[in-house]
Amino acid sequence: MMENAAKALFAFYCLAIAVGAIGAVRAENLVRALVGLILALFGVAGMYLLLDTPLLALMQLLIYAGAVVVLVFFAIMLTRTSDGFDEARPRPMRAYLFALLAAAVPGLILAWTVTRHPVPSEAKPAAVGVALLGKGLLENYVLAFELISVVLLVAMSGAVVLAFRHKGGGK
Amino acid sequence: MNISNWTAPDPFVTTPDMLIRLVVGLLALAAFVGANATILVYVERKVAGFIQRRPGPFEVGPQGILQTIADAAKLIGKQLVTPRGSDGFLFWLAPIVGFLPVFVMFLPIPWGESTYVVQSDVGVLLILAFAGFGVLSLCLAGWASASKWGLIGAARAVAQSVGYEIPLLLAVLAVCFSHGSMDLMAIVKEQGGWPWQWNVATQPLAFFIYFVCALAETNRAPFDLPEAESELTAGFHTEYSGMGFGLFFLAEYANMIVVCSMATALFLGGFQGPAAPGPWWFLLKVYGLLLVMMWMRWTYPRVRFDQLLNLNWKWLLPLATLNLLATAVALKL
Repeated sequence: MMENAAKALFAFYCLAIAVGAIGAVRAENLVRALVGLILALFGVAGMYLLLDTPLLALMQLLIYAGAVVVLVFFAIMLTRTSDGFDEARPRPMRAYLFALLAAAVPGLILAWTVTRHPVPSEAKPAAVGVALLGKGLLENYVLAFELISVVLLVAMSGAVVLAFRHKGGGK
Repeated sequence: MNISNWTAPDPFVTTPDMLIRLVVGLLALAAFVGANATILVYVERKVAGFIQRRPGPFEVGPQGILQTIADAAKLIGKQLVTPRGSDGFLFWLAPIVGFLPVFVMFLPIPWGESTYVVQSDVGVLLILAFAGFGVLSLCLAGWASASKWGLIGAARAVAQSVGYEIPLLLAVLAVCFSHGSMDLMAIVKEQGGWPWQWNVATQPLAFFIYFVCALAETNRAPFDLPEAESELTAGFHTEYSGMGFGLFFLAEYANMIVVCSMATALFLGGFQGPAAPGPWWFLLKVYGLLLVMMWMRWTYPRVRFDQLLNLNWKWLLPLATLNLLATAVALKL
């Protein structure tokens, strides 16, 4: 029973991710696109739960669905784009073809790699405790972990620089 | 003779215990949330009346105890109006998004030694993760209303909750650090029965920061800027009628209980108490904190928006960071 339930849930989350992603791309106003994004993020969190990693799933919700999305919302409200903006204009067929190509190439490469070199996986995901995860991040992989924060720092200072340039040289 | 043949086959024999626990727990929580909001609204109005030297609700039933039930019936009976120019789908999605996560937030709360729905080693995180959806629903509601009051209310809600979430997380982290766990049950069990064995004795600053931030996160006065009625009519829920507004209202009261339950479990020893630990101690502490919240609402005037943000970024955030650092240093020494 649990196995079938897991399969059904997998299908459900796949559907949520696909519907959310398509909604995010196709929506005609930004807030609706954002709602699509939230749905997709939720689906990913569900996938993490299926993999028996509740910590990752909750972090996904806390950081992405809880914080990042709210900040994006703030940005949308500050810029206050109306409907019928650039996003709502009809696009030429060519644009759709290119988009399909851009999605298909990495998809095909990934599918090919995974089928050719299947990763040995366990039948049932094994949970890793929070303490073990923390130890791993701060002992074995501490360099990578700290490098990520450097990336964030660079991004943040870049945002500050851009904001100040707009403020100073408003001409 | 084999008696076991007489009984009907158990339909739940293949269902995992966890699932049964979850379904029963969610059902009980749904009843609790509804009943509790009815009672809290009545208490709130009586407290308001007491503080302002008037009787409060008095006419419907003895001492007015049926007033909130009458109000609830009125709310349910009202017509649902979608304002012209609004985004209908998002407009009605918002109250649902605001109300549903509340149930998930109740799941890991340890009411008693064996009275809980799920025990998870990421329980604290579960509550904090789903608490973020409250502000999301306010944003959606304010934006989809196509009303300037709603929009300003939503903008205020974002600025407020993004800010106050950080010191709140840091205050909670300080407690998690000192127990080495994010499991609410484990944190409660490590505290003793008497007040000086509770975390509030070792982490008074964290408790203070947590409580102030919790007031702000639940949009309670003196931090109820997103729905400041003197300037914004009703802020993000100006345009909602009937149960659309009712769901926001229910969610607000349920959120109050969640933050108070978390404060009880993290800082006030949860179900531990002098003599006979049990759920009654937990409920006593939760309702005590709720009374303090109401008392504060009717005592302090609403802060200005710049005061609200200054208080957060200039005081609570540095204090919470220092507190966390001090906790980490003290633990290592």
